[in-house]
Order: sequence, then structure tokens, then C-alpha cells
Amino acid sequence: MASVISVENLQKSYGSVVAVEDVSFSVEAGEIFGILGPNGAGKTTTVECLQGLREANGGTLRVFDLDPQTQTDTLRRRIGSQLQDSALPGRMKVEEALRLFAAFAHNPVDPDELIARWRLEAQRDQAFDSLSGGQRQRLFIALAFVNAPELVFLDELTQGLDPQARRATWELIREIREQGTTVVLVTHFMDEAEYLCDRLAVVDGGRVIALDSPQGLINSLELPVVVRFSTEAEDLSWLEELEVVDQLSRREAAVEIQGTGPVLALVAAELVAHGIVPADLRADRPTVEDAFLALTGQTIRG
Amino acid sequence: MRGYRAMTIAEIKLFLREPFSIVFVLVFPLMMMMLLSAVFGNDQEEAQAVENGILVWRGVTPVNYYTAASVAVIIAALGLMTLPINLAGYREQGILKRLRASSVPAWVVFSAQLTVALLTFIAGTIIMGIVAWLVYDAMLPEDPLGVIVAVLVGTATFGALGMLLATVIGSSRAAQGIGLLLFFSMWLICGSAPPRAVLPSGLRDFSELLPLTHLVHAIQDPWYGFGWSWSGLAVLTAFAIAAAIPALWFFKWD
Repeated sequence: MASVISVENLQKSYGSVVAVEDVSFSVEAGEIFGILGPNGAGKTTTVECLQGLREANGGTLRVFDLDPQTQTDTLRRRIGSQLQDSALPGRMKVEEALRLFAAFAHNPVDPDELIARWRLEAQRDQAFDSLSGGQRQRLFIALAFVNAPELVFLDELTQGLDPQARRATWELIREIREQGTTVVLVTHFMDEAEYLCDRLAVVDGGRVIALDSPQGLINSLELPVVVRFSTEAEDLSWLEELEVVDQLSRREAAVEIQGTGPVLALVAAELVAHGIVPADLRADRPTVEDAFLALTGQTIRG
Repeated sequence: MRGYRAMTIAEIKLFLREPFSIVFVLVFPLMMMMLLSAVFGNDQEEAQAVENGILVWRGVTPVNYYTAASVAVIIAALGLMTLPINLAGYREQGILKRLRASSVPAWVVFSAQLTVALLTFIAGTIIMGIVAWLVYDAMLPEDPLGVIVAVLVGTATFGALGMLLATVIGSSRAAQGIGLLLFFSMWLICGSAPPRAVLPSGLRDFSELLPLTHLVHAIQDPWYGFGWSWSGLAVLTAFAIAAAIPALWFFKWD
């Protein structure tokens, strides 16, 4: 499949501050591609360069085989943008904003449809200034889809949304992808990246430090798996002899095993072989958050 | 054109919802016209008053003098204050960035602002003329076309100056301060407050360099039937071009 986006060695500085040092990746048609990283990692700068909102200092950028710096107008017809740090005039109403932006779209989506899909019905006649953070966010997402884009950039998609609205937004993004739109998602939320993204670029200090599917990312790092169960059996030393088991600890009946690889399956087989069938056997799989931690040596800020 | 229309309609709605801009742009010049007219009166004898060898009121009564001059004040207020404050605020808040990301061209942003400004000027001119005519029996424009042309040229000049200020000045707070300073200093020495005849000669010569002086003349001359102020219009056009080129060239979206 053709790449929708290809970035090679993108560089961007603001004065003496290097925002993006060396970023390369490509995004395939129809995928949800995540750019994950701590604040100040260069995520927003990267996507703003791709949208032709900033001029790169170096590297090759291609979006739909167009150069975002010189073919900006042609490109913008085909992309949708939800930006960080943007706003609308304070006294502009929700419906007015959608109609205004629709007037600049080549292939506009009916504003009423967007109002319904992004649950802005009650805010239709409300001024931008009077909207809550979550309502503003939903309006900005709706604006990103006003030109029926083939590719949409979502920068901090669920910032300011409550947990319920977050879930709903995720489902809508998946639905949009089903309809063939390619999505580039900038986020610092691990759960969001894990749930939504087909592939993830982990960006830190202006560089891509890992690029894989969320599961691939976790697997490649061989992060520890924790298996827990309870049993009254006294002697479990035979479990420690398993190669996948690194450590076994117990507190009375509760047993906790740390290991790497297919720990759960092997432990379970061994338990059954010894006639122990705990009802509460379970494994805590490492998450993208654990992977991120291992990669960057830090927790996400903000 | 569809985009320009939508943007202009949106801007008109926003303007009408912003009480401060209406007060300043329409009410302030009207109030000044009425106060100054009340002070200096509508006495025919005043029309021929001479100071420093210059006809103080340009051969008309003070009321007529201020009615036409105050139209120029509306244009200057919008160009030097409302426009740069709006645009700098739009940039500061990320509104320009938002518009740009959705393919809104710069000329649409500007021309929508200027259209709203022009509509305000037309409304302001009509209100000014009618109020002066009703209250003081002032004269209505002798040559309305000449007044319209002067208003259009003045819109271009002060519109371009406003855009230049918005380009040069980073924040809306700074735009407010600088705009206010420029507006009041021009207002005071360009013949729109005290007549230029009473100014010290150095200040009078200096005000010759300022666009508001020329706009006051360009509007007054056809208003009183003195013909078109070609030199005034030429200076205004030069100002418009000199300001518009760097404004568009260096305009920053964020």
C-alpha cells in the first residue's frame, strides 16, 4: 500500500532550541498512527511541519506525495487538523463556526451531521467563550472533519475530555478509520495510544526512539510479566525451576511470579501437572506505559 | 468568494456582539463631534476666523468642520485600534492558526475585517451627517461621491496601517497601548480635535506628514464642495501601499 506520509530526517529548531532533531517514519493509508512522547518531545512540531504550518529546517517531507511547504493549499484540501493551542473568536457560536469552516472546504460535510456526531447539539448556539474544555475539544475535532479529509491530524485528541467522552471519542475515531480515513494521533496518553493505534512512534528529545505496533513495542522489550494466583500448596520450588520464571514470592496463599515470555501458559501447565487448579490465576501483561518507561527511563509528564 | 462572504458575515456578527468596539468606533467620534460643536458653535462669523494667517475652520462653521472631520476619526480609530487589537488577539489566541489550518487565505481574513470596517464607516458617516444636520442644522455632503471615494481610500490607508501594526506588534495588549497612543496623538494634531491653525507652527508642519491630516482634508473638501483633495488622496494612497506591502509580506500567523 502506498504511504500517505513519509518523513525522512526531519529537523526543526526555534532559534537555538532544537525541537526536532531527527525524525523519520511513514504512515500507510487507512492506519491510525500514533506519535507518543512526553511534553516537549517534538510531537506537535513534527505534525505542524507535516501540515505546512511550520517550515522545517531540514529533511524530506511528503504527504500524499505533496510537499507540505510548497504545495500547502492543495494539501490542506485533503487533510483535517485538530490543533493544540488554537482558539476561535470568543463570541462565535458553535454552529456558526462549523458553517464558517465548511465554507472553505471543497467537499464540506453538513454541519448538522457534525453537530450530531460530536454531541454538540446542546451547544449549537453557545459562544466559544462559554464552552467547557471538553466541549471546545469536541468542536475542534468536529472542525477537523468538516472537509471530509482523507487524512486527519489529531493533536492531543482527548485533552480535557471526561472519561466517558474519551471512550466515546475513541469509538468515533475507530469508526472514522473504518470509513477509510487515515489518522495521525499525537498523544501523551498511554492507554489512548495502546487502544487506538495500529503503529506507534515513540518520540523523545526530538528523535524517534521506537517504532512498532503497541504489542510489538511491548514484546520487543521483553518486559516482565506478572502472574498471580493463590494456593494452599506448601512447596512451589518446582515452579522456580521453569526457565521463564525469574522470581517467585508469596504471602500466605497469594503467589506472585515475575518472568519474561509466555509465563502464564507455562506456569498454568505446570500447575495443572501438579494437580493445582487455582480459580484466580491471572497475568498482568506489560502495557505501553511499561514499554514507554523502559524506553525513555521516565514517566510521562503532564 | 464563498469563503469571503462567510467570513465577512461571521465578522459582522462578532462586531455587533462586541460592545466595546461599537462604543469606541461609533460613539466616541460622535460624542467628540457633539462636544466640540457645542463648544465652538455654528456661528457664520466663525467661518471666516483667521489665526496664524490660516482660516481656522477652513471657511465653514465649526459644526460643519467637525462633522466631516469626525468621519475621519472613525476611520482612524478602527484602523489604529480595533483592527490591530483584533488581529493581534486572533494571532495570540491561536485563532489565525486555526483558520490557516483550514485553508482560510490571509486575504480573506484581512478583507473580511476591512469590509466590516467599511460598513462601519458608511454607517458612521450617515449617523454623523444626520445627527449634525438634525441637531445643528449642519450641511450634508455637497459631493457625496467625493466623500465616498475619500472614505474608501481612507479605509485602504488605515486598514493597511492597522495590518502593519498587527504584523509588527506581537501581543494584543501591546497593540492596545501603541494603537491608543498613535490614535490620540494623531487625533490631537491632525485637525480633528483643535483646528490645525491654532497649533504651533512646528507641530502644524509635522502633522502635514501624518495620514489623518490628509484624510480629514480628503473628506472635508468634497463635503463642503471644495472639489476633491487630489493631493490628500495621493498621500493616502502612498501610505496605503507603503504599509500594505510589508504588512502582507511579514505577516505572521502564530
